[in-house]
Amino acid sequence: MNISSFSKTYDKTTVLNFSGMELQSGKIYAVIGAIGSGKSTFAKILAGVVKADRKGNYLDANSVGYMPQKNFAFRMSTKANILLNGRDEQRAEKLMDAIQIRHLESKRADRLSGGETARMALARLMMKHYDVAILDEPTAAMDMETTLLSEKLITEYVRESGCAMIMVTHSLQQARRIADEVLYFHKGKLLESGSKEQVLFAPVMAETKQFLEFYGL
Amino acid sequence: MKASVLKAIELILSRDAELMDILGVTAEMSLQSSIFALLIGLPIGIWLGTCKFPGRNMLLVANRTLQGLPPVVCGLLFYMLFSGVGPFRHLKLLFTVKIMIMAQIVLITPIVISNMESYVASVAPAVRETAKGMGLGGFKTFWLLCNECMYQIISVYLLAFARSIAEVGAVSMVGGAIAWKTNVMTTAIMQYTNRGNFTLGIALGIILLTISLIVNVGISLLQRRLSR
Repeated sequence: MNISSFSKTYDKTTVLNFSGMELQSGKIYAVIGAIGSGKSTFAKILAGVVKADRKGNYLDANSVGYMPQKNFAFRMSTKANILLNGRDEQRAEKLMDAIQIRHLESKRADRLSGGETARMALARLMMKHYDVAILDEPTAAMDMETTLLSEKLITEYVRESGCAMIMVTHSLQQARRIADEVLYFHKGKLLESGSKEQVLFAPVMAETKQFLEFYGL
Repeated sequence: MKASVLKAIELILSRDAELMDILGVTAEMSLQSSIFALLIGLPIGIWLGTCKFPGRNMLLVANRTLQGLPPVVCGLLFYMLFSGVGPFRHLKLLFTVKIMIMAQIVLITPIVISNMESYVASVAPAVRETAKGMGLGGFKTFWLLCNECMYQIISVYLLAFARSIAEVGAVSMVGGAIAWKTNVMTTAIMQYTNRGNFTLGIALGIILLTISLIVNVGISLLQRRLSR
């Protein structure tokens, strides 16, 4: 699968200038970078939520799933929220068990805590198999225990569905734990990409080295 | 004062014929005008809350201006249009409940639009983003948005009803406050007070306050449910 080049400009300022890349099925791509580097805009454009400067589809995949940074819980039960993305009740229950929200299945989802909402949203996305799944900071609202639980579920999902997963994360530790490939964004550009061993432990670009040092990796 | 209140309660309990007629006309006018205002205002509010297009801000400003339209000016407008010299005089609607409903619709529809627009604008982006993320179609997304707005719709309706039932300026001008025909609670209170008949005025005041209390309790309960 290919991502073609695109750019995004807000008020005459180009916030993202992406030159394109190839995606491989069954791999997790961690998107890292400082705040304002264009990570979320990149995810939103690929998901089709935000339009790039030039109209078009930049991801040549048949199906794309997207979990936004701010998870929205509809005014209905947790289980009903999950079933919005598929009718397989058994799968929904299995996912709720795996991510430990089964006890909340009848609770109104808009009354869940931030961490619980994030887990519900993750289970909701995983109801379907996509060619490409895009997660924007999926564990930002979670504690360490549920973060590790979610990471386990994410890796299992990628293995089971064979999708290519693009995961925006601010946690370098998380990228190190579950990513296969790392994309480093700097000032709206994909500055460095490659295997996690290469980008996180032997970066080529000075900016990448500086960023990793700053975050203590 | 105490005697008037007691007599007013007696009047309510005895279901006085004139009092019942006033209540009937008031219910007809308030219910119909608020329902029509909701039917007109709801789609416009949702449209303005979800779509971005050139001229949207102008429409919002125009709606805000209409929200501030003084009821007597609205009454005057309808009076001029439907009176003996107006272009719609042949419809013979002046001093009927129908024209009172029409004037009320003009007054309360902007309130419905404004309340719906601001609520929809606050939830629509998140609903759209989440629905798009799951690959849901336009119809399902719209259904989810309407579901999210359900309590707000009821709350807005109650607000419109409360505004309609308490209005006096426009309805007295176009309805004429004719006894047994177009006299509603507010115009009757004014009329009976001017005549020095406080008993019926107080009875109507008690009923109006009770309805207002019930509606406001309803609104506040809904707002509590709405708060996330």
